[in-house]
Amino acid sequence: MKKGLRWKILLTLVVLGFCLFMALPLKDKIKLGLDLKGGIHLVLQVKTDDSLDGETDQEINRLTEQFKKNSLTYASAVKERPGRFAITGLNIDQQTMVRDVVDQYAPDWDTAYLPDKVTFTLKPGVEALLRDQSVNQTLETVRNRVDEFGVAEPLIQRQGDDQIVVELPGVDDPDRVKDLIKVTAVLTWKLVKAGPAEDEASLLQPFGGVVPDDAEIIRGDAKRGHPGVYLVEKVAAITGSDLRTVRRGTDEWNNPAVAFTLSPEGGRRFEQVTGANIGRALAIILDNKIQSAPNINTRIGDSGIIQGQFTNQEVDDLIIVLKAGALPAGIEYLEQRVIGPALGSDSVRQGMMAGLAAIILVMSFMLVYYRLSGVNAVIAMIFNVVILFGVLAYFKANLTLPGIAGLILAIGMSVDANVLIFERIKEERAAGKNVPGAISLGFNRAFTAIFDSNLTTIISAVFLFQFGTGPIKGYAITLIISLVANVFTAVFISRLMFDITIPKTATKMSI
Amino acid sequence: MEIFKKTPQIKFLKYKYIALIITAVIIAAGMVNIFAGRGLKLGVDFGEGALIRIAFKDPVVVADIRQLLTDIGLSGSSIQEVGDSGREIQIRAVEVQNAQAGESLESHAELSNKIISALKGTDGERETAQGLIDLNTVDQKTLAALFEAAFPEQGTALTEVVLKARNSESVKGAFSDFADLSKAGVSAETVEFLKSKTFLGKLNILSLESVGPQVGADLRRKAVLATIWSLIGMLVYIAFRFKLSYGVAAIFTLAQDVLITVSIYSFSGREINLPIIAALLTIVGFSINDTIVIFDRIRENQKALRKMPLEEVMNLSLNQMLGRTFITSGTVLLTVLALFIFGGSVINDFAFTMLVGSIEGIYSTIALSCPVVLFWQKWFPEKRRRR
Repeated sequence: MKKGLRWKILLTLVVLGFCLFMALPLKDKIKLGLDLKGGIHLVLQVKTDDSLDGETDQEINRLTEQFKKNSLTYASAVKERPGRFAITGLNIDQQTMVRDVVDQYAPDWDTAYLPDKVTFTLKPGVEALLRDQSVNQTLETVRNRVDEFGVAEPLIQRQGDDQIVVELPGVDDPDRVKDLIKVTAVLTWKLVKAGPAEDEASLLQPFGGVVPDDAEIIRGDAKRGHPGVYLVEKVAAITGSDLRTVRRGTDEWNNPAVAFTLSPEGGRRFEQVTGANIGRALAIILDNKIQSAPNINTRIGDSGIIQGQFTNQEVDDLIIVLKAGALPAGIEYLEQRVIGPALGSDSVRQGMMAGLAAIILVMSFMLVYYRLSGVNAVIAMIFNVVILFGVLAYFKANLTLPGIAGLILAIGMSVDANVLIFERIKEERAAGKNVPGAISLGFNRAFTAIFDSNLTTIISAVFLFQFGTGPIKGYAITLIISLVANVFTAVFISRLMFDITIPKTATKMSI
Repeated sequence: MEIFKKTPQIKFLKYKYIALIITAVIIAAGMVNIFAGRGLKLGVDFGEGALIRIAFKDPVVVADIRQLLTDIGLSGSSIQEVGDSGREIQIRAVEVQNAQAGESLESHAELSNKIISALKGTDGERETAQGLIDLNTVDQKTLAALFEAAFPEQGTALTEVVLKARNSESVKGAFSDFADLSKAGVSAETVEFLKSKTFLGKLNILSLESVGPQVGADLRRKAVLATIWSLIGMLVYIAFRFKLSYGVAAIFTLAQDVLITVSIYSFSGREINLPIIAALLTIVGFSINDTIVIFDRIRENQKALRKMPLEEVMNLSLNQMLGRTFITSGTVLLTVLALFIFGGSVINDFAFTMLVGSIEGIYSTIALSCPVVLFWQKWFPEKRRRR
């Protein structure tokens, strides 16, 4: 055997071995996309304005505190929009002092001074950073929640500036998951000043109809058996970030509840607050709704329960979100796709059947039409699919419905490459060339057509990959892989098989 | 085996004007239909609203469902029966009133909830109040917990058997009767247990897709960008490897492939979704492949037959490649036909597009690509190189 041939065989075997190793067993290695397998696909938009809003509130609090501390006069601090606020009613004589305080305590803000007013705008760089951070934090939180919920192989990734894609294969309880992801889960405990009352007017009556400076109005959660409105202290006694552990527990009537323990620091604060306020009600507030407002009967240390007429499932979900932490910003669903397992398995069953039927039809045709040379084509075709699956598995890419379209195109072009070569060989034979000469010319002359047509299609697929989203990307990647494989199998492997099976002295060939 | 014993001698380019007229007529009819007639229906991927597939416990009548939807103000929804069981329905709904900008993000999600609760009506309320679980919609975790309480250690296995039966081809997502379980090989004991703890609800959601306006618009923009750039990329490459006139002809051929297929598609009343775009791209892929194969042969023949006029060379090349065109396109047709017949409802639209496109692709390669090269070279003659 010629030395060159030996290397070619070795190369072929290595490529095939690698691809088989990557792709087998098919069931575990080739991941079906959600459209074939069933599951949930969600696109979330992070309301990044929320994080700017929080930052703005904090800055207003910080500055007004400093203004008070330094006895600087101001009338009010007004938030114009998230990331922009103004402090008005300044005393013109204190302007240098004001500038000093502002420079020291608001370094992230661009300022515009008028004699009696300063306007603050968040610096563009800082704003972009905050928005970016809030998306990343949201992504992490969503990931934690999904992990706690327990989904095999979830895909959670960022898309564009402020979107997150969540793919949960095999999940069959979409509403629960959607709620679980979306709940902001900001948990606070606040002392109740008054309430519950039926409406705000009767609630505020003892306070002369206005909300006291240090208090705010929060609605009870009707679903939890607490309609009505409450007046609670603005400053939280403890918050969700003070929690150390949460687990399932029960209240005194044996109803499901969330049992928690606090961090040492949180525990000390809780003890202080409860000790000083025995007899008052302490509201447990989740996402700005009061879940329950039990009376403080005794000084409570570092553990307690959250009660609120929960079902077992609701307790489990609350535990998940408390463990995973609060979302830094709200989210909206831009897109949701739920493919039930019944439909998914139906598509796979039918898709497999159609695919098999197609491949068998094409293979039989090639065998009938090209006889022994058809065997070459069939083997080249099989190798092409093996390589495709191997590379797909290597990149951990999913096989989707559009991906199957790409596969069909690739198989079609793989057959075509062989047809081009075989027809050319026939032409050369008809023109009187001997067998080895005709094979050699056939491959050489067909090569430019195969190369140009495959490369043109690859060029278009690359642009599709660049601009496409989701399924179209899947189509493009399947196509690119199998076209590259195509040039290799049709030109290199098919040629190799002729070289091995047809001796240099042959005078006849089956084609 | 041979399709043609001898290279055929068909004068394809004699019919170039007829070909152009046929193409123009089909495209014109399609455009009239798209812009003035039934229009091109954008599916849920590109538009907004919701697409829901539902399996019912008992056969339903489309007219009844239309009535239910009309009652909640969604008379514009399209309702289709899927398969031949009479139990599977697909609903495509678009929100009628335009919600405020702030709310519109979520309205598409609420739309589907609205439809499902309208279809369900009061079904199952009594049973749920008694603490029974709907076996047709129950999720894996809940069912496993239910089984685990009665049959310790067997919960997961039993759940798997029951859910597999629910997903099977005959049940299709919703049991009609507890007898379906026995037929699927679930033990009598288990069936009895399920009868005491569960009930069969009216329907099960097979799939639910809802897309907000933002995503649809974004997808449309990206699809257009991707198409334009890949056409430019191909044009540049072919112009570089062949001549500009060939590149222009290839792009022209591709454009008419897409236009003709879309025109015919518009008459079928089907919706355009992402898989349809993939099918169109695939047709473009096959067509460019065919076209380049012909151009390659023309390029080669021109080198050998310098004296022959281009039109003759083209005729010769087309005839030489005719066998190959038929074989290749024939195998593609076989594949697509298999998909169309056996592929099932989910890929039926896709297979239909491919079927139309691959038949049309043969025509465009043979009848259209070469004339465009001739016309282009006539209108923009290349400067002859001096000897």
